[in-house]
Amino acid sequence: MGIILGYIATLGVYFCIYNIFAFGLNIQFGYTGILDFTVITFMAMGGYMAGVAALGPEQPGSGIYYVLGLSLPWPVALVMGAAAAGALGYVVGLIALRRLRSDYLAIVTLAAGSIVLGIVGNANGLFDGFEGLVGVPQPMNGVLNLTPNAYTVFFLGLCAVIMAICWLVANRIYRSPLGRTMRAIREDLDVAEAYGKHTFRVRMTAMVTGCIFVGIGGVLTIWFITALAPAGWGTSETFVVWAALIVGGRGNNLGAVVGSFLVAVLFNEATRVLPAIPAFPSLISEIRNMCIGGLVILTLWFRPQGVVGERKARFFEVPLRTASHEQVPVPAVVASGR
Amino acid sequence: MHQPAAVESGSVDEILAVHELRRSFGGVRALTGCSFGVERGSITALIGPNGAGKTTLVNVVAGAGRPQSGQVIFDGCDVTGRPSHEVALGGLIRTFQISREYPAMTVLENLMVSPQRQAGEKLSTVLFHPGRFRSEERRHLERAVEVLAEFGLYEKRNDYAKNLSGGQKRLLELARAVMADPKMLVLDEPMAGINPALIERLADHIIRLRDTRGTTFLMVEHNLDVVERMCDRVVVMAVGQTLATGTMAELRGNAAVVSAYLTGGVVDVRAQG
Repeated sequence: MGIILGYIATLGVYFCIYNIFAFGLNIQFGYTGILDFTVITFMAMGGYMAGVAALGPEQPGSGIYYVLGLSLPWPVALVMGAAAAGALGYVVGLIALRRLRSDYLAIVTLAAGSIVLGIVGNANGLFDGFEGLVGVPQPMNGVLNLTPNAYTVFFLGLCAVIMAICWLVANRIYRSPLGRTMRAIREDLDVAEAYGKHTFRVRMTAMVTGCIFVGIGGVLTIWFITALAPAGWGTSETFVVWAALIVGGRGNNLGAVVGSFLVAVLFNEATRVLPAIPAFPSLISEIRNMCIGGLVILTLWFRPQGVVGERKARFFEVPLRTASHEQVPVPAVVASGR
Repeated sequence: MHQPAAVESGSVDEILAVHELRRSFGGVRALTGCSFGVERGSITALIGPNGAGKTTLVNVVAGAGRPQSGQVIFDGCDVTGRPSHEVALGGLIRTFQISREYPAMTVLENLMVSPQRQAGEKLSTVLFHPGRFRSEERRHLERAVEVLAEFGLYEKRNDYAKNLSGGQKRLLELARAVMADPKMLVLDEPMAGINPALIERLADHIIRLRDTRGTTFLMVEHNLDVVERMCDRVVVMAVGQTLATGTMAELRGNAAVVSAYLTGGVVDVRAQG
């Protein structure tokens, strides 16, 4: 019984984490149209920074090398991880957003992700290279004295609270004039610029905010699995988040939730417990990737807006004050043009 | 706005003055020393054969392209080479040659984007002081509804802009520009590809905006009947420079202008200069 509960709680944790990733990408891509093809890099940055902030000082002779090692309490580590991801997003944004858009921007983000992966992997003193960080302390695990399964349930609660906050923030941005300007930039950057919008600043805001979200997800990830190595954040992981957002519905945070559930939880994580076939040990993971790819293709073919597409903005109905202007009904000349 | 006027205009009150603008793209010299002024409160037409450099001029004036030399003075400020959004915040809004609405946003939203310097466009305000922009938002909404009614688009307010007809998109473009409360509107071929009845309506709207709000208009236009009927002054461009300015009646008698329209302007400018 405890195992099943623990398993469901584990899936729940992944659901929350992928939701946060998808909200972050939604702010970048769904709201503002920034093709961030290196989402997972910011997750890693957040995770690593929280890891080295929470770990104790590096032990000489242990063979594990990392910077900082501050033994900080977990809320501080969370803030540091989020801030580090946001800072990396700012740097990538400086390079990518100033002059580039659409596919060129996508290539630059992809390249930036590869560069970060190369640096982190090869600079052993940073986050222990390709070996990765291990033994990252889990929040409150020392004080609670829970069984592993019970702790997972507790951790799910923590993730759910953080996810709920992210959900509220993402929705508040969407409904605000800032979110409206972001969508206008997504629709036509030149026009928004010609209407006095500082498009670079707004896009940078979206980029950094999205990266902070993804970084928070990264912090939760490293807390949950207590380890993180470059093998865990390859380019293919980025596309799981993209697949989630595209299948669920971009521009709608509910779509991000649906997509995270379908792609990240149902396909990506739940299938991990299927027993491996001895003759073909990698068969299941390959099939999993094919299924996710197929799901994206089916979505784009039959329902390009996603399962839950972007909702039409509704405004409070303001009554017309004066009737002195041109009459309201659309003249036949205009109406016939449809 | 930022700097005192570098060049004082003469007796007429010029809201926009361009001086000796030059811009080339590789070997193509799109602007070769273009100078003219636009009087405040006027409706000025910018005409000329295809390839005369009209759109390049609009781009340079609106900050979408930098001139290699020359000056753009708008409302007493040197705006040469400033980015588009700064020029727009100064009060000069331009439209594009083809309708470029925000397709996947509703008609009302298209208008709600336009007001400049909205308090709710700042992330910290959105997250920590959402009350601060509520009344402003309500004010913008009331105004947007009013503007939509003026342009006969009120019934369409909750439709996606992409679902409007070509003519309605033109009206939306103008309505959206009005929402930004500009001092001057630069329209790039607002009448292209729409039917005569709608041309009348657009022309009436433009004249009304000039009369009621005092907006200055500079419009690139090929339809000379429209130009004659609604424009106070006409600037003729050919091969990247100003060929003549005046009223349409004056220009009809100008052999160089007539010839430019027939030959593309090359022969005459060489002959003159």
